[in-house]
Amino acid sequence: IDVHIPQKTSGELAVHKKKTEEVENWLKSHVGHKHLKEGGSILLMTGPSGCGKTATIQVLAKEQGIQVQEWINPTTSSHYGTEDFKQAFDPKSSFNSFYGSSQSAVFQEFLLRANKYSCLQMVGDDTDAGKKVILVEDLPNQFYRQPSLLHDILRRFVRTGRCPLIFIISDSLSGDGNARLLFPKDIQDELNICNISFNPVAPTSLLKVLSRIVSQEASRSGGKIRVPDKACLELLCSGSSGDIRSAINSLQFSSLADSTLEGSLWPLKKGKSSTLANRGGSKGRSKGKSSKLPGKQDAEQAVGGKDASLFLFRALGKILHCKREPHVEPEVPGLPAHLTEHQRDALLVDPEMVVEKSHMSGELFNLYLQQNYVEFFTEIEDMARASEYLSDADFLSAEWSSQSTMREYGSSVATRGMIHSNRSRAFASSQTGVGFKPLHKPHWLLISKKYRENCQAAQALFVSFCLTPVSLQTELLPYLAQLTNPMRNQAQIAFIQDVGKLPLKKYPGRLRLEALTDKDPGTLDLDSEEEEPTAASSSACEPPDDGPALSPGWSDLMGSQPEPITAQDPLEKEEELVIEDSCG
Amino acid sequence: MSLWVDKYRPTSLSKLDFHKDQANMFKNLVQGGDFPHLMVYGPSGAGKKTRIMCLLRELYGAGVEKLRIEHQSITAPSKKKIEINTIASNYHLEVNPSDAGNSDRVVVQELIKTVAQSQQIQTSTQREFKVVLLTEVDRLTKDAQHALRRTMEKYMATCRLILCCNSTSKVIAPIRSRCLAVRVPLPSVEEVCSVLTSVCRKEGLILPGELAKQIAEKSGRNLRKALLMCEACRVQQYPFSVDQEIPETDWEVYLRETANAIVSLQSPQRLFEVRARLYELLTHCIPPEIIIKGLVSELLSNCDGHLKADVAQMAAYYEHRLQLGNKAIYHLEAFVAKFMAIYKKFMEDGLEGMVF
Repeated sequence: IDVHIPQKTSGELAVHKKKTEEVENWLKSHVGHKHLKEGGSILLMTGPSGCGKTATIQVLAKEQGIQVQEWINPTTSSHYGTEDFKQAFDPKSSFNSFYGSSQSAVFQEFLLRANKYSCLQMVGDDTDAGKKVILVEDLPNQFYRQPSLLHDILRRFVRTGRCPLIFIISDSLSGDGNARLLFPKDIQDELNICNISFNPVAPTSLLKVLSRIVSQEASRSGGKIRVPDKACLELLCSGSSGDIRSAINSLQFSSLADSTLEGSLWPLKKGKSSTLANRGGSKGRSKGKSSKLPGKQDAEQAVGGKDASLFLFRALGKILHCKREPHVEPEVPGLPAHLTEHQRDALLVDPEMVVEKSHMSGELFNLYLQQNYVEFFTEIEDMARASEYLSDADFLSAEWSSQSTMREYGSSVATRGMIHSNRSRAFASSQTGVGFKPLHKPHWLLISKKYRENCQAAQALFVSFCLTPVSLQTELLPYLAQLTNPMRNQAQIAFIQDVGKLPLKKYPGRLRLEALTDKDPGTLDLDSEEEEPTAASSSACEPPDDGPALSPGWSDLMGSQPEPITAQDPLEKEEELVIEDSCG
Repeated sequence: MSLWVDKYRPTSLSKLDFHKDQANMFKNLVQGGDFPHLMVYGPSGAGKKTRIMCLLRELYGAGVEKLRIEHQSITAPSKKKIEINTIASNYHLEVNPSDAGNSDRVVVQELIKTVAQSQQIQTSTQREFKVVLLTEVDRLTKDAQHALRRTMEKYMATCRLILCCNSTSKVIAPIRSRCLAVRVPLPSVEEVCSVLTSVCRKEGLILPGELAKQIAEKSGRNLRKALLMCEACRVQQYPFSVDQEIPETDWEVYLRETANAIVSLQSPQRLFEVRARLYELLTHCIPPEIIIKGLVSELLSNCDGHLKADVAQMAAYYEHRLQLGNKAIYHLEAFVAKFMAIYKKFMEDGLEGMVF
């Protein structure tokens, strides 16, 4: 079923109209007027996996009669035994001579050759037949390690190339670091790379596509397969979270399996699901369809497809604005009198799930919590309790040897403790909206790095004093700052000025609150604390918008945002003021 | 022009300013010929290091004062390279193994081995052993301490250890029993005063007795700090006046302001500000343990007697946490929040008591 999906017309694409138009325009302008323009042009398409990037290109290319030449990573090892045999059939046999060299070299060769080849054809043939684009979906691994290599090749390509080049890069959930790494802003500007980013397929259009497929299939197979009803389709749509490929895969699976969809939604063991898939495969063959069963299904835990992952922003929100179920008639007797202050309504969220879905380690999540929890509390007693839980959590996960097991407990203690100790939201009824509050990135990583650096620098610079670090940092340096001592060298003086003196003003100038945008993935792993905290660096390239942090993805989140977002103008204004103050 | 602390550091046992009996005992020890491993302990600024250097000079003569700073790199069995700074003369080697963090065991073993394996050149005129001076032994990991214990015995023939630490409580018993332990107590206020006046006299300055006393008290009898303070006073104002304000370090002032901020208002927003201040202190290389200690002493002086026990208990609890945990800020903040909560409750109770 997977095979018959590639659409024939652009109207059938599930991708948003505007996006398709955008791509189409680009193709038209760059393929059509190729002769006039000297040099190749590059299009970069990004988006989550399965949102139809490749399909868009294929369909559009077919419509306009453009030939697509695709780059596929050569698998070097497999070409030794059956080489001769394969060479005859390999569509890219012309490149076989390069298998010995590194992948990146092959890639370069491919680009340049494909280029030349099209040139030749153009000279000989009519222009229409020679229309051609190069499509690159997966890049040789080498480039992830040395992006500059790729940039060099691209520069050369732009200089000499004639036909447009299209890159397709999937954003992974753990961050769109790939695209950022391979195509940084300056390169994009320099090479005139046009970037089109795709959003996940909207549920409605996904639903449309799915029901169309179902009806087509039903008519073709003549009742052989069970037609899933509408509710099932909706379930599939929400389960796949905008990944059209996985949605279709699971549709196929659910229509083949005899059980009802709800039943098959249970997490399947790997073996079981693969036998099911095999069964489905044989059935599919008996129907005369190709037996292309996606192996991807095995990896999926439930037929429902991907787990809906949460963006960090929303995950934090879930914990901090904890939602509680409205109080129902107490079936169990309430807590005894001395414990009544611990009475809480049942939670609507499962904290462990939230942490898990945020794709971060528990410690890092705790850091984010710690940075942000202050604004959600009104009573200092609650704060004391919450901070105690955080301290407990840190203590739990501190031991290096047991860290992997204790980590979960640590985050559980922190999140649940945080929720429990916020008394102002103990009951569903007492939930007055605190309104929207901007969240920030934790400072701790930056601070601890700075602390370590400074300590090291202090020891390196003042080694001649033969002092222990503690007395060096707490006694000698501060007094040196007060003495006018001409003997020091420049580095020492600068360091003393920096470290020995504290600004005795009201607001420390060093800390800048970094607003956390909702799309911000928790990129850094905590284990890399010794290395550079990448959050700091990766966020540096984002525009630092101090105000409401939600500007980019705000509109499409509006509908699904569970938090009360009534206008809280005074609050926000105050927030801005504080931030600006600490910036200046 | 070097600092007064370094400029007027006594260089021989006979020139030491205080604890003269102890100095005499050291002298006898050296003359006795058989020199044991030493462990010198005592609070910071009591003159441990000065004493040790005097002792070394007594042992080897003026040659120990020709110091050179070496940057050594040691390869651990796990192929990890460890870089460490050492200070050495021809006769001794000083190292702070806790600089190496977790791999201090390797540092201890390797350095002592290299020192012990090289023989003294002129055994006829010189001592037949070299000295390795290890500082901050109480911050060594247990692992390293056990390694040290074995190494101490093995190379006894060619090498003596002098261990220097603040407290023996963190040193394992086997090491303690292998060393001659010598405690160097803090000088008394009078002794600090006399040192200060003599230093000032050598500088050609007149230091009023009152001021000297104030400095001595303010420095907590830490002689190094006292001398630094005195020099800062000199920069600030000369001739000295009796009621002159004694300069404090910036971080102490900052910490006091932080404590005042905590006491004056207890609210989440204030906690947030305090957190920013704590971060600021940390970036200025003030270790978290010092921060919590300073905070406690400031807070204790600010709060009522009933609360003091509680506050101290809390502080101990969170400092323990600080040692066990990973990220200091959690524990510092938890301490501050807890204090705020207790203090606020206490104040509210007090108000109610006044109303009724």
